[in-house]
Amino acid sequence: MATSFKFKPLTISILLLFLYNAIASSASGSSSTTMHTNNWAILVCTSRFWFNYRHMANTLSLYRTVKRLGIPDERIILMLADDMACNARNKYPAQVFNNENHLLNLYGDNVEVDYRGYEVTVENFLRILTGRHERAVPRSKRLLSDEGSHILLYMTGHGGDEFLKFQDSEELQSHDLADAVKQMKEKRRFKELLIMVDTCQAATLFSQLQSPGVLAIGSSKKGENSYSHHLDSDVGVSVVDRFTFYTLAFFESLNMYDNASLSSLFTSYNPNTLMSTAYYRTDLYQRRLEEVPVTNFFGSVMETIHTDSPYRAFSNRYYRKSKTEMPSDQSGGGNRRALKDLDILEELADPKLNVRPLQSTYLLVHEG
Amino acid sequence: MSRLESCLLMFLALCSVTQSINVEELNEEFTESLLLRPLPDRKVLAHFHFRSSAPPSKTYGRHHHIFPKSIYQLVHKFQVREMELSFTQGRWNYERWGGFDPISSSNAKPPGVELWAEFDVPQDQVDESWKNLTHALSGLFCASINFLEHSTSYSAPQWSFGSASGKLRYGTLPREAVCTENLTPWLKLLPCRDKAGLSLLMDRPSIYRGYYHSQRLHLKSDEFGASEMSTGMVLEQTLTVVLRPDTFSGKALQPSWSLSSLFGRSVSRKCSLSSSSNVYAQFEQNLLFEGDKLKEDREALENAISVGDGFEDNPLFELSLAPKRVIKESGNLQKAGSILYEFSVEDSNEFKPFDLGLNWKVPVAWSCPQAPLQASRFLLGSGNERGAIAISMKSTRSNNVERTSSYDENECWLRVGIFQMVPWYVKVYYHTLKLFLDGEPQSSMENIEKILVSPSEDKVSTGVLEMILRLPCSVNTAALTLEFDKGFLHIDEYPPDANQGFDIPSAVIHFADFVANMSFHDDSLKQVPILSKLQEEVPVVSYTEVLLVPLTTPDFSMPYNVITITCTVFALYFGSLLNALRRRVGEEERLLNGKGARKAGPLTLMISKLSAKLRGKKWEPPKQSESGRSSSKYKLLAKVVLVAGVAAAWQFYFQ
Repeated sequence: MATSFKFKPLTISILLLFLYNAIASSASGSSSTTMHTNNWAILVCTSRFWFNYRHMANTLSLYRTVKRLGIPDERIILMLADDMACNARNKYPAQVFNNENHLLNLYGDNVEVDYRGYEVTVENFLRILTGRHERAVPRSKRLLSDEGSHILLYMTGHGGDEFLKFQDSEELQSHDLADAVKQMKEKRRFKELLIMVDTCQAATLFSQLQSPGVLAIGSSKKGENSYSHHLDSDVGVSVVDRFTFYTLAFFESLNMYDNASLSSLFTSYNPNTLMSTAYYRTDLYQRRLEEVPVTNFFGSVMETIHTDSPYRAFSNRYYRKSKTEMPSDQSGGGNRRALKDLDILEELADPKLNVRPLQSTYLLVHEG
Repeated sequence: MSRLESCLLMFLALCSVTQSINVEELNEEFTESLLLRPLPDRKVLAHFHFRSSAPPSKTYGRHHHIFPKSIYQLVHKFQVREMELSFTQGRWNYERWGGFDPISSSNAKPPGVELWAEFDVPQDQVDESWKNLTHALSGLFCASINFLEHSTSYSAPQWSFGSASGKLRYGTLPREAVCTENLTPWLKLLPCRDKAGLSLLMDRPSIYRGYYHSQRLHLKSDEFGASEMSTGMVLEQTLTVVLRPDTFSGKALQPSWSLSSLFGRSVSRKCSLSSSSNVYAQFEQNLLFEGDKLKEDREALENAISVGDGFEDNPLFELSLAPKRVIKESGNLQKAGSILYEFSVEDSNEFKPFDLGLNWKVPVAWSCPQAPLQASRFLLGSGNERGAIAISMKSTRSNNVERTSSYDENECWLRVGIFQMVPWYVKVYYHTLKLFLDGEPQSSMENIEKILVSPSEDKVSTGVLEMILRLPCSVNTAALTLEFDKGFLHIDEYPPDANQGFDIPSAVIHFADFVANMSFHDDSLKQVPILSKLQEEVPVVSYTEVLLVPLTTPDFSMPYNVITITCTVFALYFGSLLNALRRRVGEEERLLNGKGARKAGPLTLMISKLSAKLRGKKWEPPKQSESGRSSSKYKLLAKVVLVAGVAAAWQFYFQ
């Protein structure tokens, strides 16, 4: 009896150890083994008043880029703190330009702004990130991401050392942002997060982040200002900031299926033309930047996979529980960022079936 | 056997009869139309009208192919009986554009967002449904309509919106911006979106460049009625724009325009889902009256008699296309009614787009029919403590006034209904209500027929004033004043641009005795939705201006100022303290002497020479020991002389 008592604490401790290991491995393994499901974009412009036209133009330029590369309006949350396009001071109503040649109307015909005017507050911003809304808030105003989402968070406005100013009356501090991202990670609201900040001393805003899977780039380091690019004498104000201007210059040459990687984007910023240093931190991000295509965050690529017929592909004979194993590097990739283990591939590899491309149906798999 | 056969035959006959009675095509329907009307001040009114209807879901089911699903779900989730939502920018100019026709009564809306809704739920659930409805609409239309959820921003009018059930709620946001993001989801409710049909004309920069634009959505549903005869759901969407054509035809002549010059586009594709697509050009009776006068003058001159119904040989204008139909309004005794020319868009395609144009031949001026009283509202008083709101109404002496109430020989009364909603921080004292008729203050309240006041409660509810005034018909001006105190908000309740001021929403002035509608001889015109809408008897409504009240705002930069002043005080205190403690008398001079012992500068030499010459003494190079002291003295003297010289020169030359 005495010996059994001695063994009991030992067995309990061993069991606890195993349990801890199991939990730890599942937790750490989850981020690398969950499948990438969809892409979301949260674009925030925090400045009000006509002389901050360029912040609106920055945000709308990113909005246009992200929409053009494939992310639909349902997965974009656009927050604009003031109305510039139909502002009484705007000589070109319903038009917002980011270049003085006026070639591109950023506002276009179909724009959907989710949070407008006085709704752009720190409280609403943190509610979007953490997902803690009142019950009546409609779906179009919520970030409905899941654990496989890649989220692009772009913020622009006036900022400073460890803060971002919202509408000249409130501030978002860097530890607020870090706390919100930590909550998002705990609630599994993203797989990977790219934070892009275009303000003065932007790099200080993400200095407190600690959650894994987060990549961040700011337009300037601590002590540096971010500058606007040029002044449009027709509209009367500066129309775009330098960091966003060069980001757009990079993206305008891309289309949806291009393979440009994040490292090429990050290294394309020249401190001489930016007049500030674009600082980025990759210590929380496991993958190598050369292997991550920009459309993983800035676009949304749908890939089609041929199947012979839908019913046969998913018939009971071939059904098996799919393993959620994804290769972490996409170097084999190129265009074929395929799923490795769904039954379809088993199906296709089966020599008994003749895969006839003409009469098959297309299975749309959301990949990017 | 024969009886059985006859019974069977009769039974069959009955069956067939009942079947033929019950055969009623239950169908969803969508129609679109555009009404164009030239306005007297060289502008053009364009009114788009889209109507979708769905049969009741009890008989038709829940799957629709034309009626928008989001609206259907909205009606069912919140049990809405009637709802109207409008987004407006600009002010409807009642003096120039008229206030008595059906279009201005239904489509002249206050700036910003206006929402009213009536629900089919028990009385205690109405507020909850209103709150949820505002949130759902804010997500649907990309506007911050959710700000209307707080009880401080909506009210429950009893008399002003036609329904006295107590289940109607009204709210408005005067400062809401209206732009493409509000038009985008509104157009997505149409079956053809903005890809075909009349909505192709909606070029965004052209619409938002207008002097007034208002998009409105009116929803009516009978889904929850107990009666069998429910008519289902009707969704009516209208966009009213007042544009100025770019063409310049001379100072006196009205500008000629066409659809492509107004909108930059023409209708190149027809919407196949709409059962009718028409464009109407309306010319008002006053304008036609001028035309008739001109024709008579010409005929008198030429001694000719002209024949024709007025289209081809109109002396005033000419239209570029031939109309499908000419619809005449039945006018009153003095003048003929307005004329509508109907054009069909059915056969437009890419090679033959529909583009209607109007050319004016002679300069002409006319006026639009006005509401009986023209209302305006303004603030009185100054300062940040108190003020007064005044509503002033001026009689327009319009001859087109048609009455529905009986004309009393002895007393003729003009009934005016006023509805005003005031936010809680403008604390109105309703006992200070004063009425002035033709400038004379009225002591008795005999001119107030009915009044309903719901005073505001701080941070809980708005103040609502509804009243029906009974004014004599011969009145020239009438005015109402109400005094108020300005309240204080909590620091967190101030908007970011608090120094602009705070808005008091528009007041609604309605004339219950007058209806603005057009009547046509032909009853078959009721089938066309826009014409039936024009024939509907709507009461004449006008909105006053929005008032901007400056309230006391705290010094938002206060922390910065406090820090600056505190730091300055500290700096001065510590600086002088340290100075006083550390300084030793005479130490400065010794330091200076030490410095001066090294060498004497050229300036000091020159000055010493000068002083020697003046004194008449022989000049000696100054000794080293003395030089320090004298050089410092001379330096000081030089500096003083320099400053004095500069000051004198400044005074002299720049005065």
